Amino acid sequence: MAGSSPTPHKPRRKGKKPGNVTEKPLRTRVANATLVRAPSFPLAAFLWPARRSSSQWEVLPLVLMVVGLFRWAAGLWGYSGFQRPPMFGDYEAQRHWMEVTTHLPVSQWYFHDLQWWGLDYPPLTAYHSWVLGKVGALINPDWFALYTSRGIEDPNLKVFMRATVFVSEYLTYVPAAVVFVRRYSRHNSISQWTGSVALVAILMQPSTILIDHVHFQYNTVMLGLVLASMSSMLAERYKWAAVFFVGALGFKQMALYYAFTVFAYLLGRCIFPLNISRLFGITLVTIVSFAALVLPILLGTYYDVYRKVNPGNEADGPPSELPIFTALAQYLDTKAFYYPIVQQIIQIIHRVFPFARGLFEDKVANFWCALNVIVKLKSFPPELLQKGAAAATLLSIIPPNLVTFIRPKKETLPLAFATTAWGFFLFSFQVHEKSVLLPLMPMTLLLAGRQGLEWETRAWVGFANLLGAWTMFPLLQRVDLAVPYGVLTLLWAYLLGLPPTTWSVYTEGAMTWSKIITLVTHSVFYVAMIAWHFVQAYLAPPLNKPDLWTVANVGVGVVGFGLCYLWCFWKLVSHSDLVSSTKKTQ
Amino acid sequence: MDEFYPSLAQCALVAGALKILLFPAYKSTDFEVHRNWLAITDSLPVSEWYYEKTSEWTLDYPPFFAYFEWTLAQVARLVDPAMLRVFNLEYDSWQTVYFQRTTVIVTEIMLVYALQLFIESAPLLQKRTAQITALSVILSPGLLIIDHIHFQYNGAMYGLLIWSLVLARCKSTLLQSGLVFAALLCFKHIYLYLAPAYFVFLLRTYCLSTKSIFRIKFLNCAKIGTGLIAILGAAFGPFVAMNQIPQLFSRLFPFARGLCHAYWAPNVWALYSFADRVLISLAPRLGLEIKAEALQSVTRGLVGDTAFAVLPDISPRVCFLLTLFFQSLPLAKLFLAASPTWEDFIGAVTLCGYSSFLFGWHVHEKAILLVIFPFSLIALRDRRHFGAFKPLTVAGHVSLFPLLFTSAEFPIKTVYTIFWLVLFLMVFERMAPAAKKPRVFLLDRFSTLYIAICIPLIAYTSLFHQILFGDNYEFLPLMFTSAYAAIGVVGSWIGYMVVYFTS
Repeated sequence: MAGSSPTPHKPRRKGKKPGNVTEKPLRTRVANATLVRAPSFPLAAFLWPARRSSSQWEVLPLVLMVVGLFRWAAGLWGYSGFQRPPMFGDYEAQRHWMEVTTHLPVSQWYFHDLQWWGLDYPPLTAYHSWVLGKVGALINPDWFALYTSRGIEDPNLKVFMRATVFVSEYLTYVPAAVVFVRRYSRHNSISQWTGSVALVAILMQPSTILIDHVHFQYNTVMLGLVLASMSSMLAERYKWAAVFFVGALGFKQMALYYAFTVFAYLLGRCIFPLNISRLFGITLVTIVSFAALVLPILLGTYYDVYRKVNPGNEADGPPSELPIFTALAQYLDTKAFYYPIVQQIIQIIHRVFPFARGLFEDKVANFWCALNVIVKLKSFPPELLQKGAAAATLLSIIPPNLVTFIRPKKETLPLAFATTAWGFFLFSFQVHEKSVLLPLMPMTLLLAGRQGLEWETRAWVGFANLLGAWTMFPLLQRVDLAVPYGVLTLLWAYLLGLPPTTWSVYTEGAMTWSKIITLVTHSVFYVAMIAWHFVQAYLAPPLNKPDLWTVANVGVGVVGFGLCYLWCFWKLVSHSDLVSSTKKTQ
Repeated sequence: MDEFYPSLAQCALVAGALKILLFPAYKSTDFEVHRNWLAITDSLPVSEWYYEKTSEWTLDYPPFFAYFEWTLAQVARLVDPAMLRVFNLEYDSWQTVYFQRTTVIVTEIMLVYALQLFIESAPLLQKRTAQITALSVILSPGLLIIDHIHFQYNGAMYGLLIWSLVLARCKSTLLQSGLVFAALLCFKHIYLYLAPAYFVFLLRTYCLSTKSIFRIKFLNCAKIGTGLIAILGAAFGPFVAMNQIPQLFSRLFPFARGLCHAYWAPNVWALYSFADRVLISLAPRLGLEIKAEALQSVTRGLVGDTAFAVLPDISPRVCFLLTLFFQSLPLAKLFLAASPTWEDFIGAVTLCGYSSFLFGWHVHEKAILLVIFPFSLIALRDRRHFGAFKPLTVAGHVSLFPLLFTSAEFPIKTVYTIFWLVLFLMVFERMAPAAKKPRVFLLDRFSTLYIAICIPLIAYTSLFHQILFGDNYEFLPLMFTSAYAAIGVVGSWIGYMVVYFTS
């Protein structure tokens, strides 16, 4: 700012009109061919003046402020469960965990009242809640008073909760994204400016903002840890990658969507070429980080045993037997010193992985839910369905992970993550609408890759993101969030020059067959999405099929996501130099 | 010729998205004021508009604004008729909020249009700076805070002002410029503060010959006279016919209000009050007399009516004379110049805004936009102008912070303002060409220090004061903010006066 002017009294420039017509240099430095003459989409236009600035440090703070403003402004809207007794929603769940973790002995965390949003996320979430609960109680202890605070709706608490999401994201996801984009674009020899454009696109992703900052959750912490893990892989710091990924898993079990790819990539890096010490190191670090993750809970359990505090609280009574793995009980001595730990760990697993629940919960754009429209899946035995889901998931993820294992390449890292996550999202059981964030995150990272802002990647990444946000519309509309949904998705589409704001991404440059096919396919979906919005806004569904619109949403969504899976897989294969270098598709 | 990116429309669109997201944000009583005006104009005959007083927020804007509200009410009826009932006080259904917030965003198109004209009318070599200036105005944190959170229609009003200022750029559109400004006065009479500059400029360049001030262009005088009569007639005619002018003017000019507004606008009187406050504690040592009855009122600091304990009281007449005196200085230069340029005119408008803001009676801190926007149009002329402009941007926007006091809006107002300041001060710094004359002042050092102080100040007023004193001494943060901002505005005024008279 002002301080940057070293000699304020001397005219620093002789020319009367600096930076005007005469000055158009550095065009050649911009690597991307289509971005040279004029910005081809509005986001590029916004960063256009920054092409010449050599330092990222001028652009980055401004970018972080702007994306922060949009997040905070979106947070002024309601959250899930706002004024919706008796159970409220995700917001209450997260707040309740802060209440539970700050008031109850550690050993009771995972045993406390399951019916009122019982803690069912892994330990790192519990620690996170504990920290936030402690900080919040400094401001107002009533927010987290045991039992009496359930369903509390204090506007100041809302501000505090929004701030916690904001701060958590700015400590994890945002720095991870900045570092990842930097490393990934440098690896692909992309200019820093192009990287900045991609960074803004990644940080303005509508689904992430809508789910975390509006609907309310802390997904970005988990996604941020995964991103950190990915960027450690780029930097070839594999042990750190393992640590971060264990952190992600420890924050939210949903990170398992990526686990196969992390495993395949790290193993591939250890085998091709063979590097036993690296393999050994990664394994060791993984085990140690898992141990460190559960250690506080285990120590707490022992402390409570010492204090003679029963893990099960009064309401539930002491848990006499194990909830799952009951067969183990006959080998265990309930009086032995190790029994409380075993009991605690099994209870955590039981809470975190509710195998007992059905194949799918709500209407979600995944294969099973769509299939259910044609074949009533409820008539099949649940074990068969679970096996079927596991088999289908494995079938969809084995090919991409095999490719990743054989060719663990840095360029294809986001593709590998995205393909696997799409496979999980489409075919695994117990999928939630919000889980679409998992495949979207790595897929959006492609924007920072080679030709990331060219038509093909931009069109497909945009398609996946807009479709993903669209499938979450029923979820958002249920809590009156249609306006922020509309604003944030349309804004993102506008910034990246995507339908429905403009079709220019498909029409710029020379027409090729692949472009035409993409244009037609995507257009069908975009038209369907727009038509669907009109239909569900103005037409009531037939009386005997009250869910018809939601089912239509699921049907369109699952086909579109299937295409995204196939595209990611195709790109992964074609960029992995599997066949031969001459047949590489460009 | 290259186009410059991002374009004005692109910025307006993205800013629009943010503004829609701000729908559920805090809204002040001005929201209810405007809802009430919608109700009054829609449900009552014109003859009762300026008599209606069910709500305490009576109609106190000139007739064009009332007509404007009437037009909006025609649409409002389709959205939620309940908002148009006069007795429906404090009514804010979500339809009402969406509707009123939307009208603010939509009417801001006037500003976008005016700024587009500003860019197009700029000489070829100044297109780039004009574009940046336009972007700084459309993205102004002042408008975001006052219009889109606090609630008012300044975007549309300043759009008219800038349109009129741009029209003055070209000899052939001088008449339109004057008439648009007259219409603006009939929308919102706060712009009377700028009227002397218009009067002198149009008199000099349009009504009198350029060669001699004693040769009158009668045809031009007739044209502008007829135009003014037509516009004023359209606005006030019906009320003249109904004999309501005294009532109307008593609503428009409520002289009963105090010297300082509820919050102190950062002007000379804020410094005066601050000095008085300081003197209260020093008075026993200096042997000064303290007026006991004033002490009660002074310590509150939040009341509108300020009485001074040590220093002499200020009468409206003093304010008026001081304002007029400091306006007359630049106007004399404008009038006596052989052929005043457009830049001279904008400078005179800016200085009129300054002196009425600094010395006026019951000035509201929102009026700072009256100085910032005209100044923006010429701030990039050279580094001397920019040097004077810099502290004004910081002081002017920081002084708006007390308007929003809710915790949810705190990050919006501070981050947005900091973003704007960092971005535009950085860009302006690069764009402003060197001045032809050397700078006289140590102003740059002063302004760097000054800008640096604002960070601990914001931290103190928003956080540390609460921790240190709890809810006691509520007036302290407000007083510090006003005094700080007042120093900046006064400093920038003096700086610009020097620039104006030496160039």
